[in-house]
Amino acid sequence: MFKFIIRYFGFLKFVPGLALVFDAFLVLWTLMTNPALLDHMDALEKKVLSWPNTTSTIHKYGGLQLNYGKKELGHIHGNGLLDMLLNRKLKAYVMGNDSKIKDHHSFKDSGWISFYIKDECDKQVALNLFNLAYQWHVNKG
Amino acid sequence: MLQKVFSVKNNGFIVSNAVALIIIGGTKYLFQRFYDVPGVLVFSEFVIIPMLMGIVSIWYWRNIVTTKRQLTLWALANTFIACVLSAVFLKEGIICLIIVSPLLFAFILIGQVVGKAMFNRNNQTLNTSVFVMLFGIFIYDSLSVHHYENMVADTITVNAPPAEVWKYVVAYKRIEKKSDYWLFRIGMSSPVQSTAEGYYLGAKRKCIFSNGYVFDEKIVTYDENKDLTFDITNQPRDPEIMGHIDILRGQFLLKDNGNGTTTLTGNSWYRLYVFPVWYYDIWAESVTRNVHLRVMEHIKELAEAK
Repeated sequence: MFKFIIRYFGFLKFVPGLALVFDAFLVLWTLMTNPALLDHMDALEKKVLSWPNTTSTIHKYGGLQLNYGKKELGHIHGNGLLDMLLNRKLKAYVMGNDSKIKDHHSFKDSGWISFYIKDECDKQVALNLFNLAYQWHVNKG
Repeated sequence: MLQKVFSVKNNGFIVSNAVALIIIGGTKYLFQRFYDVPGVLVFSEFVIIPMLMGIVSIWYWRNIVTTKRQLTLWALANTFIACVLSAVFLKEGIICLIIVSPLLFAFILIGQVVGKAMFNRNNQTLNTSVFVMLFGIFIYDSLSVHHYENMVADTITVNAPPAEVWKYVVAYKRIEKKSDYWLFRIGMSSPVQSTAEGYYLGAKRKCIFSNGYVFDEKIVTYDENKDLTFDITNQPRDPEIMGHIDILRGQFLLKDNGNGTTTLTGNSWYRLYVFPVWYYDIWAESVTRNVHLRVMEHIKELAEAK
């Protein structure tokens, strides 16, 4: 359903506020179908925000965005979809290590990756990804 | 007792809804008082005010709401309370509230998330700027001219010649069949019958709905077997319609396909008084389309039975 909407109605994200509304419904859907996922997202946010120089904001197309300084580490949509921008080398590395980590749902030919957080194990994978992105940004300076 | 009622949790619900009611009620009153019109329900009332409700509520809950799960559940509860209060104080209809509730929920939740971020940072300059900006948008939007009209067209093929179809286009007997459209099934009124004082230009026509409400119409184009156009001269004072939408004109066009069948097109023109259009026009188009199809399917059934 999410993929269908993104594929055929993705252009509507440029209507101001519409993506935020869509994400609010994703959160509602998650509350009804997999409420524990919301707790995993809270735990991830809390953990990442415990690292120095990190902040959380609302992603421009809806969802929770976690940042290092002014750089985005990644964002999590209301359905638990984590999107993260890495370089090509890191992308190849993480995708080689875990088959559940995929090309970004819209920007396939880029450094973006997508990963669905569904349970406790996925939360740990997501945390490792955030850690990797964090270290990458720290080393870049 | 009072301490229990006005607990921190309840204050989040009470104050946010009170603020919303005062702003919406006040705007309505001012429009009525100075412009003698009920006013347009501008996008701010469905976007800025719910966001404000979310921010106000989270100010009370900033130390007690810690999880997304709780935040979402309380946003749902606040949406429900806002709908009940709108029904009681603003006399909104149930179907309207069903339509508006997803939008309210989404922006209350967004407001809560924005509020949480604001109060976590505890930057007074930023917080004041957000409130001033929201207030500014509300004032600007309320005073701006809002005008939106649209036309919806639907077409079906009737297996009967135009002369046969025409008999039922001007007036038709009661529709007994139940509708499949979910809004009609949960109580929204649907067209059941049309009567006309005659088959001529200028004749008065009535479109009767399932709840007994009647749209008064006047035939403005009478081109037999081809074109029936009618203006709506009086709308029922239904809370689901009043101040939300005006149906302006309706039209049936018949095209002879030359093989004993007719292409029947139903057109309706309406004006919306609720904004944002990107949300409400989806609903208006859907309802209008289903009104068309209900009538046109009935006409088809009657014409083909002969």
